[in-house]
Amino acid sequence: MPDSMDAVFQALACQSRRQMVDIVKAAPGCGVGHVASFFPMSRIAVMKHLKVLAEARLIVSEKEGRTRRLYFNAVPIQLIYDRWTGEYSALWASQLTDLKHRIEAKGKGP
Amino acid sequence: MTSDAAKRATDKLVFQVHINGRIDDVWREITRTDAPQGCFFNAVLHTTGLRPGGKVQMRTKSGGNTLVIGEVLEFDPPRRYAVTFRFTQYDDPPCKVIHDLREVPGGVEYTLTVEDVAAGSKTAKDMTGGGKMIVNSLKRIVETGRPSLATRLMYKMFGLMEFVLPKKCRSKNWPL
Repeated sequence: MPDSMDAVFQALACQSRRQMVDIVKAAPGCGVGHVASFFPMSRIAVMKHLKVLAEARLIVSEKEGRTRRLYFNAVPIQLIYDRWTGEYSALWASQLTDLKHRIEAKGKGP
Repeated sequence: MTSDAAKRATDKLVFQVHINGRIDDVWREITRTDAPQGCFFNAVLHTTGLRPGGKVQMRTKSGGNTLVIGEVLEFDPPRRYAVTFRFTQYDDPPCKVIHDLREVPGGVEYTLTVEDVAAGSKTAKDMTGGGKMIVNSLKRIVETGRPSLATRLMYKMFGLMEFVLPKKCRSKNWPL
């Protein structure tokens, strides 16, 4: 069942995996070791999580010699967005999310 | 993490999607010169020849403006097509755009890779949004025969709003 949305939602339904996506997005081309350094779990456990993310195509891994480089792939999330968000709803929804981000940033203080 | 990003001089962006279709159809969409490319902002591919060293340009449907210039690096149908890529309206150095096609069960895995993008440049910003759009439109065209309604409306607008493009984009400034 390639590229199913089930795989994407399942992959994202886990806090550690969402953090892994954040980490890879912030450091395109990083290796498994870089990701693992953020977690108290074993490297094997991290690799299992990364495999789930790769199967959902949220992370694309490329072999470069003996190392593996990881990249964030925004396309699966864009496909979810496209499915339920039209031009007009996008405008209003983004006003609300902007407001949320602004207020919440204020709450955190400088 | 931000310091990591700041240290990088160039970025690499990867966009990947599974397309329920035939590899030849995907290849034809990304290399077609006979009609506007619905997967690439409805621009028309002009070329001196699709082979390494051949010059390529993406021009508006009217032909009046040239949006992108580049040179073919690799041309290996139907698996890999790589070009240098520079937006005519920016002064950023050229980056590299690579299309990789791979047959997988149930269709094609299409990967768009953008390499050597100057980090934080206008090109990097445009490619981040543009890449998603290219990959999604391509999937849509191969699977359904045409881009989504929202994308088609946007293309209509492009046609009407062509005059807003900066003067430096005029095709007379970019002989092929």
